Amino acid sequence: MAWRQGRFVRTGGVLALCVVLGALAWGGPVGAQSTVQSRGRSLVIVQAQDPQNWDPIATFLLSWGMVGCNVFDGLVDRGPDLVIRPGLATSWKWISNDVLQFKLRRGVTFHDGEPFNADAVKFTFDRLLGPEGAKGPQQGNYKSIDHAQVVDPYTVNFVMKEQDPVIITKLAGYGGMIVPPKYVQEHGSAYFGANPVGTGPFKFVEYRKDDHLTLAANANYWGGAPKLSAVTYRIVPEAATRVAELQAGRADVAQGVPVAQANVVKNDGNLALLTVGSPTVTEIRFDPSKAPAGDVRFRKAVIAGIDVQTIIQTILGGYGRRVSTFQSPLSFGNDASMKPYPYDPTQAKQLLAEAGVKPGTEVVLSFPSNNADFREAAQAMVSYLQAIGLKLTLQPVEQVTYFSDTIPHAKTGQIYEFGWGGWTLDFDNTANLLYHKGEFWNPVFSDADVEKYLTQERTTNDQKTRLTAFLGLDHRLYDLAIDFPLWQQINLWGANKRVQGFVAPPDDRVRLLAVSVK
Amino acid sequence: MGGALAVLAAITLFVAFGIRLTGDPAVALFEGAGAPSMQDIQRMHRAFGTDRPFLVQYVGFAGEALRGNLGTSFRSGQPVSGLIMERAGPTLALAVGGMIVALTVAFPLGIYAAMHRNALADFLIRVASLLGLSFPNFWLGIMLILILAVRLRWLPPSGYSGPVSLVLPCLTLGVILASTLVRLVRASLLDTLGQPYIRTARAKGMPERTVIVRHGLRNALLPVVTFIGLQFGGLLGGVVILENVFAWPGLGQLALGAVSYRDYPVVQGVVVVLALGVVAVNLLVDLRYGLLNPRVRVG
Repeated sequence: MAWRQGRFVRTGGVLALCVVLGALAWGGPVGAQSTVQSRGRSLVIVQAQDPQNWDPIATFLLSWGMVGCNVFDGLVDRGPDLVIRPGLATSWKWISNDVLQFKLRRGVTFHDGEPFNADAVKFTFDRLLGPEGAKGPQQGNYKSIDHAQVVDPYTVNFVMKEQDPVIITKLAGYGGMIVPPKYVQEHGSAYFGANPVGTGPFKFVEYRKDDHLTLAANANYWGGAPKLSAVTYRIVPEAATRVAELQAGRADVAQGVPVAQANVVKNDGNLALLTVGSPTVTEIRFDPSKAPAGDVRFRKAVIAGIDVQTIIQTILGGYGRRVSTFQSPLSFGNDASMKPYPYDPTQAKQLLAEAGVKPGTEVVLSFPSNNADFREAAQAMVSYLQAIGLKLTLQPVEQVTYFSDTIPHAKTGQIYEFGWGGWTLDFDNTANLLYHKGEFWNPVFSDADVEKYLTQERTTNDQKTRLTAFLGLDHRLYDLAIDFPLWQQINLWGANKRVQGFVAPPDDRVRLLAVSVK
Repeated sequence: MGGALAVLAAITLFVAFGIRLTGDPAVALFEGAGAPSMQDIQRMHRAFGTDRPFLVQYVGFAGEALRGNLGTSFRSGQPVSGLIMERAGPTLALAVGGMIVALTVAFPLGIYAAMHRNALADFLIRVASLLGLSFPNFWLGIMLILILAVRLRWLPPSGYSGPVSLVLPCLTLGVILASTLVRLVRASLLDTLGQPYIRTARAKGMPERTVIVRHGLRNALLPVVTFIGLQFGGLLGGVVILENVFAWPGLGQLALGAVSYRDYPVVQGVVVVLALGVVAVNLLVDLRYGLLNPRVRVG
């Protein structure tokens, strides 16, 4: 019995200490606001990730956009309202079927004093489309451009290689940010990646990798001087630590507040919780080459057998929105009138019986192992599917292996998780890369009608024709039930109440020009 | 020396081969925001040099590494040696600081517990050490942040800004290390105190203090030092997690980021440096034995 008692004492001790620590940890800090005020007009943002390279052509990470949108400008700009407006170009038009002409803003200079003009635009796109761009992931997005051509110092023509109805939006993307030719040539790309220079409202001051990056206001910004004096972005990977920094008053804005801590932020008198629907959507895809997923009745049975709304309410704390196709409501091509298939376990069982799927049939669900929310949702799905007579086995796979080997080589189970940013907010990108036969992440599925709609939307710049094609595509995909769209992600931000004019951006591009502090 | 080189070659070969089996750095850079086309992937592999056969890549890496050049990061475009240099300082500070906290806590408590075996103090020290062992690193870290930084506001919650920011992470690491160490010091000292030469020392009429410190502790140190040396590798594992919790810009975060993006040159570079560190520490430990215990002096 001795060891039993010993264990009891030990367990009791651990519990007691937990209670004491918990009691001490309970409650908010004292005097956090004085720390905040001592910073004056400079702002501190805590973000989860350091892209390691601030060169616009080197990354796709949202954490780049958080900073990059304040340092760089593109020819066009997409703000938090997601509407395209003039940036470094004042106007643009198609002067022929394959030539897009931009008139440039005059009197703009880069932070190092270089003038912005047509040569800078040409240099930027030569670099993006050339060997330097080949090292990064952005080049492929702009492959419809053949080259940029200087007409006069303030006029540039983009000569297109192929039709691209989304090109204007893409020019507001990371890869389209204009870079200073002299600076990049003199210092080289490695230096530029750690010491970025652009035309934006804030200019680079210092950077320590995985620690912080500091910007100072650019008083000569063409869009007016910023109200803040400086911004420091601190890299804090652990979400609980980001919230702690916010509570302690050492940060003004925190990205990625975890659902579990939403109420901590909400209930703190000094803080505000902001939520915003993001372009990111999550779904389950079927691999029709693996029985019984080739049968549409089986696919519809799985869809009818899982109560997604309840999963959103319980596991995501309500911070998710049901979607009926694999795009967010922000996406051009989304049919708002469509409703997701309802949860109906009775119908699900009926469909399985019709399809001849025997009770107890094993279904394997693959997903990237680092996605904690989805893992919890998947565990709930096990019991939902058990209720309709399917045995769901979970197969977590390390993220990079998942995307570079498991999916492209069709090594998933009959069903697998897929998450997607949809950054152009146009269904074109998603639809072509995920439903067009033979794409990297679509090794199996193909459908003649789907191909027809994809060709229709891509071969014209007429947005009305494109919308009609997308709506046709939406309904075709819905009827095929080739995927099971789950939810649109809702992002949570925490901000100190002294911050004024902060808008939680759907695409994580936190624009600071109009932000002030009181 | 030959042995150390062989160890290095084996480790780097294993890591370089293993990491190439598990994922593609070109795909990792897309991170779910855009799907790469086959052409995108091929062009990025050409740019990275990963289209060449594995052995060609490895021999190229090893040859350059011998000349002190660890290559260029795929992700940041920066030289790997520079990336490692700027992270080594913070990690070393954390490891040394944590070790100092651990030694300051573990030695007095361990000795005290051994000298008062089975008394209440001994029991309390053992329970405390068990608690320290039971806490997951990150949980203890977050708890200390909530108490000392958020609630009491004595220290900054995270970051790398001056000596004050060292306190919390070193304390966390120190507590975790001390928990094992205190038991080891106690057990090892008790073991030594049972040896015949201790009886002799006592019989000589030596004061108890001298017996414990000069004869007991000195001999008890042998397994403890071995343990600290062996623990060095494990210590680095703990550091990775704590660097993440405390937003510490060290080698752990560099390695973690490099592995999750399959940044081969950085992964290989960090492994070379860490393996060198472990080999060096173990060499030092072996050499110290002679100082501590005349019986293991060779020749």
